[in-house]
Amino acid sequence: MVRIILDSITKKFDDFIALRNISLKIEDKEFMALLGPSGSGKSTLLYTIAGIYKPTGGRIYFGDRDITDIPPKDRNVGLVFQNWALYPHMKVFDNIAFPLELRKVPRQEITVKVREVARMLHIEDLLDRYPWQLSGGQQQRVAIARALVKEPDVLLLDEPLSNLDALLRIEVRAELKRLQKELGITAIYVTHDQAEALAMADRIAVIREGKILQVGTPDDVYYRPKYRFVGGFLGNPPMNFVDAEVDAENGYLNVYGSRIPVPAQYRELVEKLGIKEVLLGFRPHDAEVLREKREGLAGEVYSFEPLGREQIVTVSVDGAFVKVFAPEGEHFSFGEKVTVELREDRIVLFDKKTEKALEFLV
Amino acid sequence: MKDVETRPRRYSRVIILTILLASLPLIVGFSLLVISSFSTEMVTNLNPSSFHLTLENWISVFHGKLATTGGIRAPILRITLNTLIVALGVAGVVTAVSALAGYSLSRVNFRGRKHMMILLLVLHAFPGVALIVGVYLLYRLTFPQSMDIVRLYSFMYVIFARAALEIPMSVWLMKGFFDTIPWEFEWSGIIDGASRITVWRKIMLPLIKPGILAVALFAFLAGWQDIIYVRTFLIDQTLATFIEANIEAEFSHMPMIAAAGTLYLLPTIIFFITAQQLLLQGYSGGIKG
Amino acid sequence: MNVKREKLTTLSFFLSPMAVMVVLFYLVPLIMTVYISFTRMRNWNVSKYLTEFVGFYNYHRLLYMFQHDPTFKAVLLTTVVFVGITLIINVFGGLALALATFFIEDKPASAFRLLWLLPRMSPIAVYSLVWYYFFHGSEIGTLNSILMKLGVISQPIPWGQIVPWGAWSIIIFVNGLVGVSFGMIVFTSALNQIPKELVIAARVDGASSWQISRRILIPMIRWHLLYVLTWQFLSLLTTYPHLFLLVQWDLVNGDYGTTLALYVFNTAFGMGEQDQGLAAAAAVLLSVIGIIGGFVTLKVLKFERMMKRPRGDF
Repeated sequence: MVRIILDSITKKFDDFIALRNISLKIEDKEFMALLGPSGSGKSTLLYTIAGIYKPTGGRIYFGDRDITDIPPKDRNVGLVFQNWALYPHMKVFDNIAFPLELRKVPRQEITVKVREVARMLHIEDLLDRYPWQLSGGQQQRVAIARALVKEPDVLLLDEPLSNLDALLRIEVRAELKRLQKELGITAIYVTHDQAEALAMADRIAVIREGKILQVGTPDDVYYRPKYRFVGGFLGNPPMNFVDAEVDAENGYLNVYGSRIPVPAQYRELVEKLGIKEVLLGFRPHDAEVLREKREGLAGEVYSFEPLGREQIVTVSVDGAFVKVFAPEGEHFSFGEKVTVELREDRIVLFDKKTEKALEFLV
Repeated sequence: MKDVETRPRRYSRVIILTILLASLPLIVGFSLLVISSFSTEMVTNLNPSSFHLTLENWISVFHGKLATTGGIRAPILRITLNTLIVALGVAGVVTAVSALAGYSLSRVNFRGRKHMMILLLVLHAFPGVALIVGVYLLYRLTFPQSMDIVRLYSFMYVIFARAALEIPMSVWLMKGFFDTIPWEFEWSGIIDGASRITVWRKIMLPLIKPGILAVALFAFLAGWQDIIYVRTFLIDQTLATFIEANIEAEFSHMPMIAAAGTLYLLPTIIFFITAQQLLLQGYSGGIKG
Repeated sequence: MNVKREKLTTLSFFLSPMAVMVVLFYLVPLIMTVYISFTRMRNWNVSKYLTEFVGFYNYHRLLYMFQHDPTFKAVLLTTVVFVGITLIINVFGGLALALATFFIEDKPASAFRLLWLLPRMSPIAVYSLVWYYFFHGSEIGTLNSILMKLGVISQPIPWGQIVPWGAWSIIIFVNGLVGVSFGMIVFTSALNQIPKELVIAARVDGASSWQISRRILIPMIRWHLLYVLTWQFLSLLTTYPHLFLLVQWDLVNGDYGTTLALYVFNTAFGMGEQDQGLAAAAAVLLSVIGIIGGFVTLKVLKFERMMKRPRGDF
C-alpha cells in the first residue's frame, strides 16, 4: 500500500515524444483513472510506472523509494494486460501460482493463496482448466487473480474491460471497484472510456498527446473542466460548445443572435479579464427545450432521438447544433421554433485562444 | 516492446560475452585462413612472426598462375568460371522447376496432391548417398560417344543432378511463398479470362519476386559449395576439387591454397553482407508456423 | 469434359519438370542402386557385371563384416556415436543460441546468428580447409600451437589419429558447428512467434531470463523441438560431404572418421578397389532406415496439420 509520485516524467521513442513532463501524485489506496484517447500516452505511462519502460527524464517514487531504475520484479506491482497475457500452456491454477513460484514460496502456502484469490474472483471452479477453455470474462478474472496473488503494493490495469462485451463490462466494473476498496490497494486504471472512468475512479487524470490536462475527482472533471478538450471528452453525449460574444458593460453574452446573462460565477472574471470572445459550454442535461419564449438560445428543432425514458433533441441555433435531453412524453416536430434554456450554474466559459476555462486563466 | 527496459545492462553483456567465447574457434579458424592468404607463410600456428604481409598469393591467383605441386600452372580463373557455371546452372534449374511445381501444389486442387507433398518430404529426407550410386550408373549408361560433347554433357549432368537434390525443399519453399498471396489476385485474373498458366506468369510470379530470389540464392550457394557431385561427374575442375587436389602441396605453397580458399569463400561473404534479411528469413521459410 | 482436359494439360505444364527430375534422379537411381546391390559390380565395370544377378550375396557379406570385420565394426560404431552425440549438440546448441540471442539487443543478435550460419553456408572445401589447419597434427596446427604455447603439451599431437575419441571429437565438432545453425534458425523463428506480452507479464511476475526460458519459452516451442530432433537425426544419419575431405586428407583416422554414409560413398567411388555391389547393399540398408525414420517423423509431427487445402474448385 503505497503512494506514487511521478516527477517530471518524459519518455521518448527515437524521435517520438510519448510523455511530456508528467508530474502526478497518486495517494495510497486511491483508484486513479488515466483517461485519454488512443495514442495519448496513457498506456505508456502505465508501463513506465510498471517498470517496463524506462523514462527518458524524471523520477518515479513509491512512497520514499526512488524506483526509476528498478526492474518490475522488485517493484511489487501487479499488472493486468488488455489481452490478459495468460500462459497458454499452463492451467489456470499454475498461471495464478506463477508469481509465487518464482519467489520460491512453499508449495502449501501457494495453494492456500491461490485458492483464496480465486475465491475472491469467483473462479475457484476453473483452476483445473486451460486458458483457451475459458470465456473472455473468465480469462480476465484469471489475469486479475495473477496480478493480485502476490499482494502487490500497486495494481495496474491496462484497459482490462475493452475485450469484454458491453453487458459484462458494466457488471465487472462494479465488481472491480468493490474489490479495490476491500483490498485497499492503490490502483491505476487506463481507459479510453469516459463512462468507465467516471464510474470507478476516485480521481481521474485526463491525458492528451503525452500531457496531463487535468487531475480531479469525477465531479471536478465533469462539471468543472479545465480545458475544452476535457469538457468535450467526458460525458455522453458530449458537452455542447457555442461561440459567444461578451457584452461586459451590460453583463450579457450574445450567442448567435440570442442574448443570455453572463452566468453569476463568471461576472467578476469576465470584467477582470476583459475578454471579448468566449466559447460557451453546457451539457445536454443541463438545459431544457422550451416552446415559450424565454431567456435562452433561440433555434429550431433539427431532429430528435427517442431513448426510452428520455430523448435527445438536436436544436439548430442559427446553424450551430446543440443536443439537449428532453422528457420522453414531449412531442417535437421538425423545424419547430424553440428556446434552449441553460442552467446557469453549470455553464462553463472557455477562452477561445487557449481553450482553457476562464477560471483557470488567473 | 520486446523486453523490459529496466533490466540491468550487465545481464545482456554477460550473454554476449558467453556467445562470443563459444564462437571463438569459428572466428579464429576462418580469420586465420583469410589472413594466411596475405602472408608468405601460414599463420595458423598463431605465431605472429610467421606473418609476412604479401600480396603475392593473390596476384598469382588472379594471374591464373598458381604454382601447385610439381610447378604445374593451374588456371584459377577458368576453374572459378567452372564453379560459377555450375552454381548458376543449379540456380536456374531449381528456380524454374520449383516455381512451376510450387504454384500448382499451392493453388490447384488435384487428386494425389497430398501424396505428392508427402513424397517430396520423404525424398528430401532420403539418403543422398544411396542415390548417387544409381545416378552415376545412369551417367555412365548415357555417356555420349562423341568426344566433342563429353565435357558439355558432364556439365549438364552435374547441374541437373545437383539441382535435383535441392528440388524437394525448394518446391516446399516456393509453395509456401505462393500460399502467402491472397486468393483474390488469382480469382480476378481467372474471371478476366486468363488461363492458369497466364495467371502464373503474369500475376503470381511478379508478386513472388522475393521468394524467387531467396530460392535462387540458396540454389546458387548449393551449386557453388558442392564438392561431391562435381568430383564425381564433372570432367573439369571447380574450386572445390582444386582445393581437394592440392592439399598435399608443400607448406610453402599453402598460402596460395588459402588464397584460393578465400576466393572461393567470397560469394558467401558477399551474400552475407548484402542479403542478411533474406538469408535469415529463407532458412526459416519452409518451416511450419 | 473439356474442363478436365484443360486441368490435366495445365497440371502437366506445371508438374512435369519436377516429375521428370524426380523420376530421373530419384526413382530410377533408387531402382538402379537396389539392382546393383544384387550384382557383384566392381570398379564400375558395367558391361561385365550388370547382367549378373547374385541374389543376397552382398547382404550376406555385410552381415559377415558386421560380425567379423573390425573396419566395418568401427564404421558402425562411429556412426552410432557420431549421430548420437552430434544430435544432442545440434539440438541443445541450437536452442541455446536461439535463447541467448533472444535476450540480447537486436544488432548483436543478428550478427551472431549470421556468424553461426557461416559453417552451413561456406563451400565445403573451404570449411574443411579451415579445420584441416586448426586440427593439423604438426606444429602449424592451430590447436597444437595454442596448447604448446600454454605449455599443456610439448610436442604437436595428431589429434585426428587418436582412435577413437580423437577422430570422433573432430568429426562431431566439425559437423556440430554446421548443424547447430539449423536449430538456431528454427527456434528463433518459433520464439519470435510467441506474443511479447507473455515475456513482459513474466517479468512483472518476477521471472529471470532463465526462468522465462524454462517455464514459458521452451514449453511453448515443443513442436519445434521435436521437429529439429527428428529432422537432424535423419540428416546426421545420411550426411557425408562434410566428413569426406577430413578423411580424404587424412586429418582423421579412416576407420573412426567414417560413418556408414561415407563408407558407402568411399566403397563405391573411393581409391583402390571399388565395390559397387557392396556399397549399394549398404546404401539400401541406410535407405531402409531412412525411410522408416522419415515416416516416423511425419507421424510424430502430425503432418496433417501442415497442409491446407487450396480454395476454390478449379
